[in-house]
Amino acid sequence: MPFDQLDLKRAIAGDERAMQRLWSQHAPHIDAVVRRLCGDPELAADISQEVWMQIFRALPSYRGDSQFGTWAHRIAVNRTLNALRKIRRIAKLEIEIEDDSAITENDSDRTFVAESIDQAMGKLSPGARAVFVLHDVEGYTHIEIGEELGITPGGSKSQLFKARAKLRKLLAHLVDESSTVAGKGNGHVAAL
Amino acid sequence: MSQLSEEQLDQIVAVERSRAQEPLNEWRTIAARAREEGLIRQEIGQRWSGQPWMQAAAAVLLLVGGIAIGRTTLGLPTANQTQAVAATATSTSRPAASTQTDAPAGFNFASVDEASTALDRAVREYQTASQYLAANNVSVRTRDSAAIYTARAAALDKIVNATESALQTAPHDPVINQYYLATMGARAATEQLVARPVALRGF
Repeated sequence: MPFDQLDLKRAIAGDERAMQRLWSQHAPHIDAVVRRLCGDPELAADISQEVWMQIFRALPSYRGDSQFGTWAHRIAVNRTLNALRKIRRIAKLEIEIEDDSAITENDSDRTFVAESIDQAMGKLSPGARAVFVLHDVEGYTHIEIGEELGITPGGSKSQLFKARAKLRKLLAHLVDESSTVAGKGNGHVAAL
Repeated sequence: MSQLSEEQLDQIVAVERSRAQEPLNEWRTIAARAREEGLIRQEIGQRWSGQPWMQAAAAVLLLVGGIAIGRTTLGLPTANQTQAVAATATSTSRPAASTQTDAPAGFNFASVDEASTALDRAVREYQTASQYLAANNVSVRTRDSAAIYTARAAALDKIVNATESALQTAPHDPVINQYYLATMGARAATEQLVARPVALRGF
């Protein structure tokens, strides 16, 4: 059911049913953004509550200049990044440079390497994960990411490059496993 | 150590981007927080149901709405029309007293008890008259099809939505409350008309 203007007015006025309709329609996407940025599901659940409170508090300021989902998405990203900053997970964002030596290479560590993109992203530093999620998954430009994270566009590009390089290694086993079954060199990633 | 190509990583990202995910919390968790912060207000139905005087007012408006619709459907003169006819007759016979007949009927009550008694009597008379008309009046307008009442009910639903929204903006405003209750009464009466067999419509 689309969330129309009447529902919006009702939600602003505190109508629970209207608010629930809004949440039901947008939570899958909004919460996905939060989850990707956080990495930790429990932390993401806590931050998601804060995000939705902020969305409901800010409803009266929504002017309809953009799609509601886009507007709420911005709030989700801002709120999540702020929350992460508070707990100092990305405090070293600007100066943190990915150290490839930190990537687990040996077989024993490799057993802990994620089998999905979710888990693989969890292996990234918070800053690199934020840049990767915002750019590659959410479609932000480097300029927008720079504004969100307080870094330069060049810094964002650098973080993205390193994040992607790390993910390509962390997720290599997906291709290896696929190749084992279907033959090497098929060039396609196994279904996640 | 092998690694994905850029294209392969893009494939994974595309899958991730389109993957549907469950919300991180249940609605009741979110709702509890919102309620704590006062972002969720008590529902209108709960607000009204806890106030007997408002229930009584709703009943009265339901009654008035039903009477108005019934009279309109039957082609009988409405209360205003009756008053106008009476005023015309009065002015014809007693020109000097015409201004007194325009006074609201409520001004004639000496006390709340007296008004309540009159209201109870009116309800009983309304019910009796409705039953009588439903049983004996066969000269109703058969041209009033169910579609008319259905359309009216749909239109009233829109008004209910609008008045509900207005009520949330001004929850304690008596004028808005009156509009809301009057609309609810008219809708309930219309629903009765929709449900009633054609021969019985019009009370």
